[in-house]
Amino acid sequence: MIEAISIQNAKKILPAVLLLITALAVPLFLPEAFVYLLGLAMLFLILVISWDVIVGYTGQVNLGHTVFVGIGAYTAALLQVPSRFSGTIDFLASLPQPHPIISILAGGIVAGLVGLGIGVVTLRLKGYYFALVTAILPLVFMKSVFVFSDVFGGEEGFSIGLERSFSADTTVRYYYALAILLFCFVAMWLILNSEIGLRFRAVRDDEELAEAVGVDVVKYKILSFVISSFFAGIGGAAIVHYRITVSPDLYDIPLMLLIILSAVIGGLGTLYGPLFGGLFIYLMKNWWLKELTTNLPSWMPINDEVVLYIILIAVAILAPEGAWVKIREKIKSYRTITFSEER
Amino acid sequence: MIDIAVRIIIYGAVVSGIWALVASGFTLIFGVARILNFAHGTFFVLAAYIGIVLAGSGVNPYLATLISIAIVGVFGLAVYTGLLSKIKEHEVMVIIVTLALALLIEQILLLLFGEHGLSYPTLIWGVVRIGKTPITYKRILAFIVAIAVIAILEYFINRTRLGKTIMAASQNFEGAMLVGINVDRIFKITMAISAMLAGLGGILYSQIFAATPEVAMKSLIFAFAIVILGGLGSVRGSIIASFIIGYVITIAINFLGAQWAEFVALLFIIGILVVRPTGLFGVEE
Repeated sequence: MIEAISIQNAKKILPAVLLLITALAVPLFLPEAFVYLLGLAMLFLILVISWDVIVGYTGQVNLGHTVFVGIGAYTAALLQVPSRFSGTIDFLASLPQPHPIISILAGGIVAGLVGLGIGVVTLRLKGYYFALVTAILPLVFMKSVFVFSDVFGGEEGFSIGLERSFSADTTVRYYYALAILLFCFVAMWLILNSEIGLRFRAVRDDEELAEAVGVDVVKYKILSFVISSFFAGIGGAAIVHYRITVSPDLYDIPLMLLIILSAVIGGLGTLYGPLFGGLFIYLMKNWWLKELTTNLPSWMPINDEVVLYIILIAVAILAPEGAWVKIREKIKSYRTITFSEER
Repeated sequence: MIDIAVRIIIYGAVVSGIWALVASGFTLIFGVARILNFAHGTFFVLAAYIGIVLAGSGVNPYLATLISIAIVGVFGLAVYTGLLSKIKEHEVMVIIVTLALALLIEQILLLLFGEHGLSYPTLIWGVVRIGKTPITYKRILAFIVAIAVIAILEYFINRTRLGKTIMAASQNFEGAMLVGINVDRIFKITMAISAMLAGLGGILYSQIFAATPEVAMKSLIFAFAIVILGGLGSVRGSIIASFIIGYVITIAINFLGAQWAEFVALLFIIGILVVRPTGLFGVEE
């Protein structure tokens, strides 16, 4: 019996260990440009799995996740370049530049606080209101970048300078990105597999029943939203320190759709499903999809985004529980041994 | 001062009438089928572009208007039967699919027509002056058409048999099924009506202002503000709320500048949700 358990544990741990070794070894074999892209993909994965916390685990449709990405990003960037405040809020302009780790944490905290504010107002109400309000947040925050362009830099954004990035060396930066992803993944995994995560899922599966057995539904929805926003902010801030620039694309809806597509393909509410979905989608989009679509004849109204939206609609219609989940079920049904496992 | 007041009163009424068309369609399909249609703004923009293309190729502008509204109605029906009816139980997926569809069509329009605004062919020429404020016939026409269509919609919903079945389905879906209403048919009809209302709104809008692919998402902000104030699912509430929001936005644009419209709408939404989350005439969910 004990043997059987340890074998099962080993079976679960082994793929994760292999994956980690692969991730660590990858920069040694790949060209620098690809390592850079892979590092960005790692940070993108933080955005995807943090979205899964509120949507997949708690069942609240958040369409404004990029707002928290952007808030984290601009917070970190402004902490590194406080001189952008001069002329508007002068006393902030003379703040000292903090260590990147501090500004990343600050990005997460500010995003989490904004999430708290929005959550308190909207999550008391039925789910529809939450979706409506979060859907328009990116549009409003996008606008703020242009209205206060002295501070936020408008369309172009601004650069924090190479000396404020993690490292001048691409490979070292990749390892930073990997480390931050690992930290975020483990932290979210621990939360979701604790008592708190159980309550999130209770809220998702049946709100009234959860209320009846004594779960404070509103409180846990808000908590989930704050956690999700916090990690989105961390991800956004880390992206700024990784690629040295901040710009409104971090707020924008195409990024939101990329996050949604990754999570939906991977399967909502599984955490590691969105991890693989995100890696696949991000690399596909930035590696060969763009090139492929630019080579199409110019009269065809198709670009990489059009292809991604069509894929998203198709996946949502054909496999609403996630393509990865569906494939896994197919594989499972071939086996005779079945074991019960949580979603 | 009086000129500003006159301008706000008249321009505000026109804008409010157009938003009333858009918002009542949005709230109608939500009330009946519980579909939160993020592609509603797409119908708005699509009708404008179809009309512009048709008129550009020599079709009479009035005829082009009718044809494009009909096409958008059919498109709404197709979206429902082809996509939404298959995933209606998955609320999350309905939202994701309609949002993806909205962005898909926005991208295609961007690739085909570019990001610059296109104006709808003028249906009626002329200007009348009240004091110093010039008012084009286009605006007057938009206002009259919007009010007339809203009146017809009110009559249709409250007085005709089909309208009453639609209301029955929106009040109690299972009850409607029990008394023998073909709910699926009602959903289809409602979706077509909803799309056509948005399409008409888009045509009236792009005749005065201009159609850009981005307007699809922008129009959603105002539609959301209106339906939240009016109460999700209430047609009458959304019509009244259109005029409140329409004037608030017009005043904000007049005194603060156009770039503040979205902020004001968001603040308004948050204010309503804090003070009175069910809106003016909200239905029980």
